Amino acid sequence: MARRPRWRFGINRWWVLLFIVLGVVAAAAWPPIRPHVQLPAEVISAAPLITLPVIGPIYLTNTLVALLLADVILLGLALAVRRSTARGQMVLGGISAALEALLEALFNLTESTAGKRAKRIFPWVATIVLLVLVVNWMELIPGVDSIGLLHPAEGAAEGHPVQLLGVLGSLPVATIVQGALQESGATLGLLQADHGFTVVPFVRVASTDLNFPLALALISVVMTQVYGVQALGAGYFGKFFNARTLFNKPMFGAIDFGVGLLELVSEFSKVLSFSFRLFGNIFAGSVLLFVMGSLVPVFVPSMFMMLEFFVGMIQAVVFGMLTLIFMSQATAGHAEGAH
Amino acid sequence: MEGDIVAAATVLGKMIGAGLAMVGVIGGGVGIGVVAGGAVQAMARNPDASGTIQTNMILGIAFAEATAIYALVIALMILFVF
Repeated sequence: MARRPRWRFGINRWWVLLFIVLGVVAAAAWPPIRPHVQLPAEVISAAPLITLPVIGPIYLTNTLVALLLADVILLGLALAVRRSTARGQMVLGGISAALEALLEALFNLTESTAGKRAKRIFPWVATIVLLVLVVNWMELIPGVDSIGLLHPAEGAAEGHPVQLLGVLGSLPVATIVQGALQESGATLGLLQADHGFTVVPFVRVASTDLNFPLALALISVVMTQVYGVQALGAGYFGKFFNARTLFNKPMFGAIDFGVGLLELVSEFSKVLSFSFRLFGNIFAGSVLLFVMGSLVPVFVPSMFMMLEFFVGMIQAVVFGMLTLIFMSQATAGHAEGAH
Repeated sequence: MEGDIVAAATVLGKMIGAGLAMVGVIGGGVGIGVVAGGAVQAMARNPDASGTIQTNMILGIAFAEATAIYALVIALMILFVF
């Protein structure tokens, strides 16, 4: 028994060496290109999915694809847990056990912060943590952000010549390569682009589109208000328009009223800080991975992948934990806090 | 010729602006250092309270980091949007 893990490690060592050698060969054959970085999500459907009356047409973007994929992964995890509990296992194994440990840690955290309201707050916290975790870790999957459609570039600085790699069925498979463009631009079969081509990936991490963090932040902050009103009734708004001490102690009452208005402002700035925190961290992380991958294509990116693994996990936990703390603060109220 | 100068000046302005925007990250770095240092000291004095301290530490780091992230977002916007 003691010998087997050592043998496996020996094999894994050769795998790692093989991949490093393959990486060196591939980087020599196709020198890496620093990809074109774009802040808004790229549209990958020609026609709009639906057209809403006020907002206008909504296209299928690559971050939307990533979010749908994350949903599918979460549903798969849920079904895996359901299958193993339906089998009547008392001790779960494999992926279900990992999920059980994660959710148990989250529930203990919720219970220690929110007390008796933990059961109502927990679903929001767990949903946010699981979704953000899966979405953030998608940037570690090879092919995300790098496999996609070739589009003609708009500016001269962004385009690259292309090289045909092969034909899959009837679809040509090509890659952009380093090098100067010819006078007439780049050509691929019948396609001709004046400024060369860029890659529009099929899947781009959903957190790098501000819409996803903003939607989660709005859900989190709005539900915090709903829970606050449910727990404290109309008295919840006394936190924002604090006129209790305004008449018997005018001087300090005015200060209390001002502080209440600041609380109101801070509710709105929560949306801003929630969404920018997640977006900024993950977008900067993916740009870091692009730049590192183009500067030192072999082995070094894996170190930064490790960093992004931790950043993605910490951001998911921070998003969930801040939701938890804001919700438990909103439901606790003044009366309980004073005693 | 003039177009080239304008394009070069635009790139120059973008790069300098993004670099200056990232100066704001100093505050976030100092803040996170203070928070983590205080938390480690507190945990060394009272190891039993590690769990609570750690929770509050991550919360404080998240708030301190938020301001640095604002600067980062502004720098990213200068580089990739305008």
